Amino acid sequence: MTLKVDGARVEQLTKEQVALLAERWPRSLAFAERAGKALAGGVSCAWHALDPYTLYGDRGEGSKLWDVDGNEYVDLHNGYGVTIVGHAHPKVVEAVRRRVGLGTHFALPTEDSVVVAEHLQERFGLPLWRFKNTGSEATMDAVRIMRASTGRDLVIKVEGAYHGSADGLAFSYWIDPAEAGPRDRPVPVANTGGIPSAYAEPLRIVPYNDLAVVERILADEGDRVAGMILEPIMMNAGVILPDQGYLASLRELLRRHGALLAFDEVKTGVTIAPGGAVEWSGVTPDLVTLAKAIGGGIPISAVGGTEEVMRVVVDGTMEQEGTFNANPLSVAAARAVLAEILTPDVYGRFDQQEQVLAGGIRDVVERYDLPATVVSIRCRGSVHFRAEPVRDFRDHVATDGPLAHLAWLYQLNGGVFPPAGDPWTFSLAHTDEDLRRSVDAFEAFAAAVTA
Amino acid sequence: MAVRETVAFDLERIDRLIEEEEAKLEPKHRASLEYRKTAERHVAGGVASSWQDSPPHAIFVERGQGNRLFDIDGNEYIDFHLGYGAMVVGHAHPRIVEAIERAARNGTHFAQPTRDLDVIGENLADRFGLPLWRFCNSGTEATLEAVRLMRANTGRDIILKIEGTYHGHHDSLMFSVVPDPEKIGPREHPVTVPQAMGLPRAFADLVRVVPFNDLDEARRAFQENEGRIAGMIVEPAMMNCGVIMPEPGYLQGLKDLCHEHGAYLAFDEVKTGATIAYGGAVEIFGVTPDIECLAKAIGGGTPCGAIGATEELFGPVVRGEYDMAGTFNGNPLTMAASRAALTEVLTEDAYATFDAVDAAMQEGLRAVIDEHRLPAYVTGVGAKGSVIYSATPVREYRDSIGVDERITYLAWLFQQNRGVFKSPWSKQETWTLSVWHTQDDARRYVENFAAFASAVTG
Repeated sequence: MTLKVDGARVEQLTKEQVALLAERWPRSLAFAERAGKALAGGVSCAWHALDPYTLYGDRGEGSKLWDVDGNEYVDLHNGYGVTIVGHAHPKVVEAVRRRVGLGTHFALPTEDSVVVAEHLQERFGLPLWRFKNTGSEATMDAVRIMRASTGRDLVIKVEGAYHGSADGLAFSYWIDPAEAGPRDRPVPVANTGGIPSAYAEPLRIVPYNDLAVVERILADEGDRVAGMILEPIMMNAGVILPDQGYLASLRELLRRHGALLAFDEVKTGVTIAPGGAVEWSGVTPDLVTLAKAIGGGIPISAVGGTEEVMRVVVDGTMEQEGTFNANPLSVAAARAVLAEILTPDVYGRFDQQEQVLAGGIRDVVERYDLPATVVSIRCRGSVHFRAEPVRDFRDHVATDGPLAHLAWLYQLNGGVFPPAGDPWTFSLAHTDEDLRRSVDAFEAFAAAVTA
Repeated sequence: MAVRETVAFDLERIDRLIEEEEAKLEPKHRASLEYRKTAERHVAGGVASSWQDSPPHAIFVERGQGNRLFDIDGNEYIDFHLGYGAMVVGHAHPRIVEAIERAARNGTHFAQPTRDLDVIGENLADRFGLPLWRFCNSGTEATLEAVRLMRANTGRDIILKIEGTYHGHHDSLMFSVVPDPEKIGPREHPVTVPQAMGLPRAFADLVRVVPFNDLDEARRAFQENEGRIAGMIVEPAMMNCGVIMPEPGYLQGLKDLCHEHGAYLAFDEVKTGATIAYGGAVEIFGVTPDIECLAKAIGGGTPCGAIGATEELFGPVVRGEYDMAGTFNGNPLTMAASRAALTEVLTEDAYATFDAVDAAMQEGLRAVIDEHRLPAYVTGVGAKGSVIYSATPVREYRDSIGVDERITYLAWLFQQNRGVFKSPWSKQETWTLSVWHTQDDARRYVENFAAFASAVTG
């Protein structure tokens, strides 16, 4: 039996933690006013705005981040899982410094783009690659490649998964299940305003970890399905792992109907293993999308595929383009990251760090009998505030939101910066002491709510 | 335009010249040709973007400095391509180098806002007269958000776009970019033609296409879709078939028309913004749209994009009813480079330099055209310009269909073989100047053009 948490107490503690935050963030609060005069909402991305206040960053080094008030944090946000090499890694700094003196943009190919593609080929077992700037652009291309190479329109997407902001996939991400139909027959719900319902028509939404629903869709209209895109491990409803055999079975099911499989590895990419979820699961899809961590903190993304699906790109029937694609600066940074920093031998270090952070938090959960489960995989992990395991998006929605928010505030005031709601990410630069700071803040939270 | 006697292009002669020039080009690029074979093993088609190929073959680049570009064969070029117009600051500008080095040392990515943001927002507000801004990482992302803003604010679905313009390659605008003349339908009701495979029909139904420089046709589209058009997106000067200027009153007319019908007007200034003038097309043509899309030049050579709009339009974003989001939006590296580009390099003085070099380009090219009585004319403004190979003015995409691509391709080969790198892909004949380009560079371009003119008329 786990403990029943007292809602009124959580509310009271939240007030206290917010007041503490206001004391520590005077400059961020003042700066938000000035920023609001030039930037819509005072930020350049909706998710930079935090509840209750926005934190303005100043600089970072290794595992640490400093805000404009001079507060130091152990950074477990790492820019939504991007800087797993740590901030301002000397090799990335050097690669950028060298490249910027040689020119950063020509809209012509350079050698580094090929070297990076070679690394990705080896890691993900897919032969042909193209580059973009963001995860949004990569998944958009992956979907178009699936449609172009099958001549079919329908795309299957997992409920609660985020695949970037492009119109074709901006559905059923962080939505209210009450508006999204029954669990086994979810309807697409637009993530945000300004997206016509016509973009929902070619989408079919399925719950994660549920083969039966995919099977039913393929049985009903398999000859119209171009393919399925999914995060092999869900990473934005906390971390949710696939059931044993789920990915391999999807692979088989889709293939039987002539449909394609795309792994959106923007978040798992080179973070959970050198070859991401492909290596981790042993399942090679037709397409893989990458972004975030592969650039070491510089915007870059990639889409890789089999020779068969990339044929439409090679022969030009599906023009794949973009002014900044594989710009020399981005690929120089990616080359340094893949060739010199995230070499296969460093992943053992992530395992040790995982023991300290996830192991430490799991220990606190047990000692305080918290209604929570810890799910982690190497440098990524999260706490689901509910006692039963979380297997899909709707399970995650049923977790305790106010408790999660309070736990996050304790981290901030304890000198740790994790993302609000998203999984944590640590970098190679994080020391055991850094990670223990997060465990200690979590214990302070646990002690307070159970006192 | 005064009527003047022109010669006709002899296409057979041009075919022969193309063969000669291609034969001259090939030995200069042995290393690039060889390297592409390596590249093709891992990169689809050997290039990272379909348009990084430069027919007849891809040219791999080693480095750039100011107005110069060096390929892996060691060839040096005066660069008028400038990465599809993004590098008006020139390659490896010391101010940009310094800004990027500093940013790299301080951490390049937090997914939290930093203090360069409002400086850039203020600078853009000053240039383009729109108060509020958001940042993203490419022109594609900027126009995607512009379209969504118009839809979110009107609750309507249909977007009006110009035939023959490119606004990035997301699903809502990837139509009638360079449509096949066989498929475009009548001018008064152009067909919305998908530009690539993989675009479902349902997406095309949300886009109506009209010709550039024709208010009556835009009005007709509004009337035929009364209450259903969210807004119109337009390049204020078309930049995809050479530079096509808007006729006097056209842009203001579009704005009035949009507002009469409860819709919005978005300028796609990805190519014109911060290049043709300090305040881009907004300044040159004196019309402020409801939404402004920027990218390319404003990032000083880093992947950037920006969306500016009125407070009214950004209302849903500020209130959080509409998430405008992206992991790399406003990242410190891009913002540092952008801040240096906008506040230290592309100052008002820079535009006086562009205008002076542009005047030399235009004057020189015009003299060659007159001397050889070529069926062509020159158009340009600020850092952008082009030769359009038509005896009659090209006012819209359909006017450019008759221009034979062999002519523009040969003109490209002539420059390429004589030390000038122009944007590849024939009809795009647009040049871009950087702050490093000089009168000498303009002269070289004109001399090469004169060699081309002599050869085709000789």
